[in-house]
Amino acid sequence: MSERREGFIPNPVLAGLVGICPLIAVSRNLAEAAAYGLGSAFCAIVLGAVAPPLRSVVADRLQAPALLALSASLALVYAFCVLLYSPAIAAGLWVYLPLLAVSGLSLSALRRSASSLGRFGPDGQSRLGAITLEALLFLLTATLVGSARELIGLGTLTLPVPGLSPARLVFADAAPLGILVSPAGGFIFLGFVVAAYRAIVGAGGRKSP
Amino acid sequence: MSYIGIVVTSVFASNALLTYGLGSIPNRDRGRLGSLPSAIALTVVNALAALFLWVVHSLVLFPLGLSSLDVLFFALFAVPALKFLSRAASSSGKALLSRVGEDADDLVVGSLVFGLALIASRGGYALPEALIASSAAGLGYWLVSLLLESIRERLELSDLPEPFKGAPAMLISAGLMALAFMGMDSAFVKGLTG
Repeated sequence: MSERREGFIPNPVLAGLVGICPLIAVSRNLAEAAAYGLGSAFCAIVLGAVAPPLRSVVADRLQAPALLALSASLALVYAFCVLLYSPAIAAGLWVYLPLLAVSGLSLSALRRSASSLGRFGPDGQSRLGAITLEALLFLLTATLVGSARELIGLGTLTLPVPGLSPARLVFADAAPLGILVSPAGGFIFLGFVVAAYRAIVGAGGRKSP
Repeated sequence: MSYIGIVVTSVFASNALLTYGLGSIPNRDRGRLGSLPSAIALTVVNALAALFLWVVHSLVLFPLGLSSLDVLFFALFAVPALKFLSRAASSSGKALLSRVGEDADDLVVGSLVFGLALIASRGGYALPEALIASSAAGLGYWLVSLLLESIRERLELSDLPEPFKGAPAMLISAGLMALAFMGMDSAFVKGLTG
């Protein structure tokens, strides 16, 4: 079977395993997973947009610290926004909000924008466009993984609504599979999800990287 | 909790990779992670990062009500300082120190070192406890990487269904290992070690 690659965008989490370990830790419920996914996407997109012009004005040896400081500032701004929106979500995400500065997606965006080939990659695709697509796929995956783990694990869905206490939809009186919201359950769940993704991509005649 | 309790908790019950999701699952490109220089680099870099962030957080930022800015201080001061030290070590000319420096250089910008330093500084530890916890957490990460590396080598020889080969099998193995480590929870360790 011939490989079909045109128009196919590999999922950064499920194919590239970008930022998968912190995602396992934070995707215990829908609200925290979505907030983390949105933060990762925000940092990656802004870094992708700002890093190339910044590289052209900052001396070579100062580029890495400057970009890291920029990434840390973005994580800080996002952390303040989450704290204002919902202190409960900010508390749930704990050290993972500042960690957005060095998340897999942010570092991937910095690596992509480090190339000196200009705005477009060798395949003619806009670099910022590729970073944005990757970031949105990360957000979607984080949200779906968080929803699935919470729904199957606890039988609830925590909605990312503003305010001091989160809104929770309850679908089951007792937790159907509580282990799923623990990190151990997260690793096992993501293992099966990645395998399912590979099987589906493989069945479509495409090769997952 | 006693220092021994902190070490056991940081290595097993609160393992950096399996509990906090810091760092990444070892893959084929990072084969030397299980080496002795790697263990030393993980211990030393984590201790230095925790020391810096604990001092900045507890003595400067927290009294001023600016705790959240620790991320910026870490990026601006700790990362360049750690990079400088690791490059100085890697160009020292001594074999072991060079390997430690090279491994440390790879570690500095990543979620593992930064995350453990944040946990040490925000986790309510005193300075000696923070240093011991972060060093032990580095060792815990090294231990898990070593175990996962050997599991990966065995899995490559086994007859797994195609979609499970590689990363999915590693993730499931990490999950099963995390389940085993969960048995050593903090209360159990505290009861055991005082």
